[in-house]
Amino acid sequence: MPSITDSSSKKRKVTKSTGAPSSKRRAVAEEDVFSETLSKVQQLEEQIAESRKYYNNIATLLTMLNADNSAKKPELAVAVSLCRVFSRLMAAGNLSESSRDAENEKIVVTALTLSMRLMKETVSHFEGANSSVWSGLFRNIIEALVEARDGEEVRGEFLTKFVKEYEDIRFHTFAQIADYAATRRKADIMEILISLLSACDEAPGSDHQIDVESFFAVADPNNKRLRTVHGHKRRAQDAWLAILRNNLSQAQRKALLRIMVHTIEPWFTRPELLMDFLTDSYNEGGATSLLALSGLFYLIQEKNLDYPQFYAKLYSLLDADLLHSKHRSRFFRLLNTFLASTHLPATLVASFIKRLSRLALNAPPSAIVVIVPFMYNLFKSHPTCTFMMHREIRDKDFAADIEKEGYEDPFDPLEADPTRTNAIESSIWEIESLQSHYHPNVAAIAKIISEQFTKQAYNLEDFLDHTYQGMVQGELGTGEKPLRKTPVVEYQIPKRIFTDRLLQEDGGVDSGAGCFMRGFWDFS
Amino acid sequence: MPPSQLKQLKASLRETGVLGPQQSKKQKRQNAKSGVGAQNRNQRNAALQAIRDRFNPFEIRPTATRSKFETTTRDDAKSTKATGRRPGVTKSLGEERRRTTLLQEMNSRNKVGGLVDRRFGENDPTMTPEERAAERFARESQKKMRKESMFNLEEDEEEFQLTHMGQSLTLDGTAVDDFDGGDLGGAESDNDEEAPRKRKRVGEDDEDDEDFIDFGEDGEAQPERKKSKAEVMKEVIAKSKFHKAERQQAKEDDDDLREELDKELPDLFAALRGIKAPAKPEPPKQDLDTMNPERAAMLREPEGKDSEKEYDQRLKQLTFDKRSKPTDRTKTEEEKVEEEAQRLKKLEEDRQRRMRGEQLSDEEEEQESDKDSFFQGEGDEESEVDDAAAFGLHTQSYEPRPELAVEDEDDFVIDDDLVETRSNVSLSVDESDMEEEEVSGEEDGEESDEEDELINGMTLPTAGSATTSTAVQVNQTADGKLAFTYPCPENHEEFLEIIENVSGQDLPTVIQRIRALHHPRLHPDNKAKLGRFAEILVEHVAYMANELAEPSFSIIENILRHVHSLAKTHPINVAMAFRARLREISEDRPLSLLPGDLVVLTGVSTVFPTSDHFHSVTTPAHLCLARFLGQCSLNGVSDFVTGAFASSLCLQYQSVAKRYMPEFINYTLNALCNLAPLDMPAKHLAFPLRKAQQSVKLAPTKKVMSRKLQFRDVKTVPSDAQAQEDLKFSLISLYVSLLDTASDLWADKSAFIEIFTPIHSVLTHIRQCFKNKLFAAGRDHVQATIDKIDSHLAQSRLARRPLLLHNHRPLAIKSAIPKFEENFNPDKHYDPDRERAENNRLKAEYKREKKGAMRELRKDASFIAREKLREKKERDAEYEKKYKRLIAEIQSEEGRAANEYEREKRERAGKR
Repeated sequence: MPSITDSSSKKRKVTKSTGAPSSKRRAVAEEDVFSETLSKVQQLEEQIAESRKYYNNIATLLTMLNADNSAKKPELAVAVSLCRVFSRLMAAGNLSESSRDAENEKIVVTALTLSMRLMKETVSHFEGANSSVWSGLFRNIIEALVEARDGEEVRGEFLTKFVKEYEDIRFHTFAQIADYAATRRKADIMEILISLLSACDEAPGSDHQIDVESFFAVADPNNKRLRTVHGHKRRAQDAWLAILRNNLSQAQRKALLRIMVHTIEPWFTRPELLMDFLTDSYNEGGATSLLALSGLFYLIQEKNLDYPQFYAKLYSLLDADLLHSKHRSRFFRLLNTFLASTHLPATLVASFIKRLSRLALNAPPSAIVVIVPFMYNLFKSHPTCTFMMHREIRDKDFAADIEKEGYEDPFDPLEADPTRTNAIESSIWEIESLQSHYHPNVAAIAKIISEQFTKQAYNLEDFLDHTYQGMVQGELGTGEKPLRKTPVVEYQIPKRIFTDRLLQEDGGVDSGAGCFMRGFWDFS
Repeated sequence: MPPSQLKQLKASLRETGVLGPQQSKKQKRQNAKSGVGAQNRNQRNAALQAIRDRFNPFEIRPTATRSKFETTTRDDAKSTKATGRRPGVTKSLGEERRRTTLLQEMNSRNKVGGLVDRRFGENDPTMTPEERAAERFARESQKKMRKESMFNLEEDEEEFQLTHMGQSLTLDGTAVDDFDGGDLGGAESDNDEEAPRKRKRVGEDDEDDEDFIDFGEDGEAQPERKKSKAEVMKEVIAKSKFHKAERQQAKEDDDDLREELDKELPDLFAALRGIKAPAKPEPPKQDLDTMNPERAAMLREPEGKDSEKEYDQRLKQLTFDKRSKPTDRTKTEEEKVEEEAQRLKKLEEDRQRRMRGEQLSDEEEEQESDKDSFFQGEGDEESEVDDAAAFGLHTQSYEPRPELAVEDEDDFVIDDDLVETRSNVSLSVDESDMEEEEVSGEEDGEESDEEDELINGMTLPTAGSATTSTAVQVNQTADGKLAFTYPCPENHEEFLEIIENVSGQDLPTVIQRIRALHHPRLHPDNKAKLGRFAEILVEHVAYMANELAEPSFSIIENILRHVHSLAKTHPINVAMAFRARLREISEDRPLSLLPGDLVVLTGVSTVFPTSDHFHSVTTPAHLCLARFLGQCSLNGVSDFVTGAFASSLCLQYQSVAKRYMPEFINYTLNALCNLAPLDMPAKHLAFPLRKAQQSVKLAPTKKVMSRKLQFRDVKTVPSDAQAQEDLKFSLISLYVSLLDTASDLWADKSAFIEIFTPIHSVLTHIRQCFKNKLFAAGRDHVQATIDKIDSHLAQSRLARRPLLLHNHRPLAIKSAIPKFEENFNPDKHYDPDRERAENNRLKAEYKREKKGAMRELRKDASFIAREKLREKKERDAEYEKKYKRLIAEIQSEEGRAANEYEREKRERAGKR
């Protein structure tokens, strides 16, 4: 791997440069003590490099690093040697492999902390090493993090301790992920990347000040991007784009679409870049289209995106599965916004009404209770469409014709263009039929279209989230409660329920209650 | 020139009658007596005041504002109001009031104690001393007459009395007259002479007056003292009591006589019939008439007591007896039949009304009020009106849905939770609680069919028939082991214990016996027991269908009919039991119904009217079915069998009301698509297609036969491949016939075309598939169904008309009539905001009161200052006087001394 060679070359540099200051200091005082520790550190380090069995020396080095805070000099040496050790370890892939068992889990987290600290030290002490550290050591860290198996804990640690705390870490993380995701990756890796990115902090507002003092490592004075919100956003945008361009599974695509407006969109300085992804998703059809709608709507609304055939596409989304989908409420909320304009052509609105009423014939009650008030609102804002409820034929000949042959439904259900379906010439017999729905409440709601339109509008939100479970519970309640009214009992006890009991009395013809069941089934 | 002031004054005095002709002495006296004098005095004062006002125009101050021109809006009453104030009068009134209150306080400041004269009329100048005395006396006697306390026993002794000179002033007559005492002696001779005359007058005047106040003047001297009121009353009471007793006596005598006559009545009857009754021994006749009636009553008492007692008993019996009513005429057969038909017709009409969602007339008001309170409650709870709530859709806070209920077609979760949890908690069985039956009744074996009550007419066995019928019963049941008495179970476990050793065939008999033994007529507790028993039976039906491998449907049917008949008497219990089952279904296994659930749902359809617009049992049952059909898992053939049963149930439910069930259509089409040997061409499907988890397609390899599906197919899927294919084939034909029936049911729906066009296409597809020779058996059936649907579609096309839903009267344009105020008064405040108006009113009142109080305080202060100044002046004047007196005294003394000195000097000088 090229990264390994990078880091090893840097390592060499580091060792060289540490040599110089230490030789100077040695001349001042406490030469013996210092050289002793130094040699000890070096010895330990060599041992670690030599074999796995000396890995305990890492702990020793750590204690040395932590123990004498007062003595500045040896710390540096220890740190440097630790840096070398971990770099080597990481290069060997030990870090990611060691996460296999629980005991090593702690070591991994410690390793992460240490390497981060190491990185900080390196950046602060070596001039010019800045960019090389970020693109070298930090890149290794990110890669190890992403590829670590069962690395949930480390990643969580990384996110909470570093990414959310320090803005520069976040900046560089975005940059590295953008790099990393530029090549095609496996699906599970993508999953990790998406979760990492979406867990990053909220996007900073435009008036947010990037505080250089709060950075994790000393900032590179040349890197201007690091100091502006725009630069940060740019990195995030790159990272997201890299992910969106990568191969995504259907589920990932849906997940991304679901977080699009709230999580991804704010990071984008140029949301137009999302356009391709969104339109692709929208054209895909099915649930993906439904989910892409909100993102697309955001672009249309905010960025003046021109989406030709938007309504045609929206119309095509109204298919048989829509009302049974779990995104039904979400879709209806959006549909309510899209059709809210009173400037839409009545033919188009009529098509939507007709299509919805067709779908209502096969819809669960929870969907019907949304559709009818929605329709009511549409009728209220587009009075031209009310012909669908009430059409008097003035033409005498035509009326006679209808009287003779019946009224042919002019609606063309197969027409894709909502402005050409002729729906406005049709009637909503479907809703009229639903007025005899088996559920009394649904039937009552369906009846609102044949009553006077006195109410200004129905609040759609009240009708959206009903379910079978809720309806059953509404009828039955959760516990035993006395009935408000004595239930009526069928006045006649049937002669037979399952069997052919006393059939000969009725002359062998089975009629009366329950004859269907006995006709279809054989109870014996 | 007007006359002089003096003349005017005199004239006006004469006019008002202040000055007038001299009254005679007698007149004066009479006036004084009748109180005219006081009245006159008042009148005269008023008149004098008026005259004073007239002659002193400066007393009246005109209103501050000058009067305005007459306008229409100005209040008439106000303009005619008194135009002037009288500052002098008000001032003097205020002064007077201060003098009585403030001055008193001022004087009694720094002083403790004092006397308050509370004697009646002490400060009333309009009363003469005589009047005062009379009034006081009247009050005193009134107080005595009026018994303040009902329980005051010692009123006579302890009562406070008016006294004069240590003597009480009572009317008892025992009082010693003042003038009797010798202390006055003859010194008052003129008084003595006057006294008789006085008394005489008094006696004449107040002859009939009950309220006459006797001063007790020499009462002793009179030969017959006038009776006091109390005495008179006592006499009257005594008299009336006496008369009453006499009347009673007479009545009692009459009664006795009547009784005697009554006793002789049977003899009379006997005489009329011409038979002589044996002469009764004559009771020892007492000569009651001659005796003292009271004594006679005493003698009669012992025999009277018994008869009275008996009489009381009879009376009580009579009061509790039902009044006899004219009984209905025995009806002829035809009439009976007609009546029955009428009853059924009425019940059917009621059912139709419920179906249309109308309320029955007698329930209407109750419902209305219910509704009101319901909505009010709603409104109180949340200020924000939920549109959906008006339709009965309440957004409750549902507990998080269990995962098994997934609504999405994308990711359908298979519900594997088929383990039934029996939810009934076993109550602690208390054997001793079970009552010992006392009756061992038995009824004839089979219940009569046409009876509504399954056990009617066999509940109350007569003692005589019991043994014989028992014998018959034993023979009929063919095993002597069946017990005749069973305890009424308290819960299902107990019931299971009871029927542990009972064979399935005998179960109906056992149930019948339990019902008969615990008929409500036998014991008041039995009603509750049977209610509980009905619940247990519902549970047992589900239990039987679930647990038994081969449930006998004739038995289940019998039990369900028992449940039905119990439901007529215990509708609440049965409904609650069914609801509990439904709740269990919806909570534990909404998407995978057990056979027991299917049987329970079937039971619902027979016991309760499924056609009702809203029904507390059938509506949730509908929802349960629809939910199952809409979301159930499609795993294998068995799921489709269960679904087929549920679909048939849907049709069964809608057989009368013909309501539309989208879930039924969806499910049936899905099932057909899944079972069809070939895939449907993936065209524009109007219904959401759900693929079964594993393919259940009919394999086009073997010849299959159709058969009628059996309920046991729900439980067991044949392992044999051929049988399985047969089952699939039968399922297809069942679904097709379901659609066939459905097309009949919903033929007159306005959207029939829209509903059945997709069905048509699916059926056509099935027909296409059945072209294969192997499926020849089902071809005709499918073709027949398609033909039927075709004809229905054609019918429906012909009948289709554009919708005319809004033949309402056009709504009137909203008009806002300006609110005119009649009799507008600019002085009044017409603030529509009541709260603000009230506020303003209070503010104004506060201001007014504050001003008034300040003015009063200021006046008080000036009054006090004035009074103090006056006192000081008085004191000063007194001092001055005293000083002057002393000076004068001294001066006079000095003068005298000087004179004396002078005299002395002169004398001395003279001497010299």
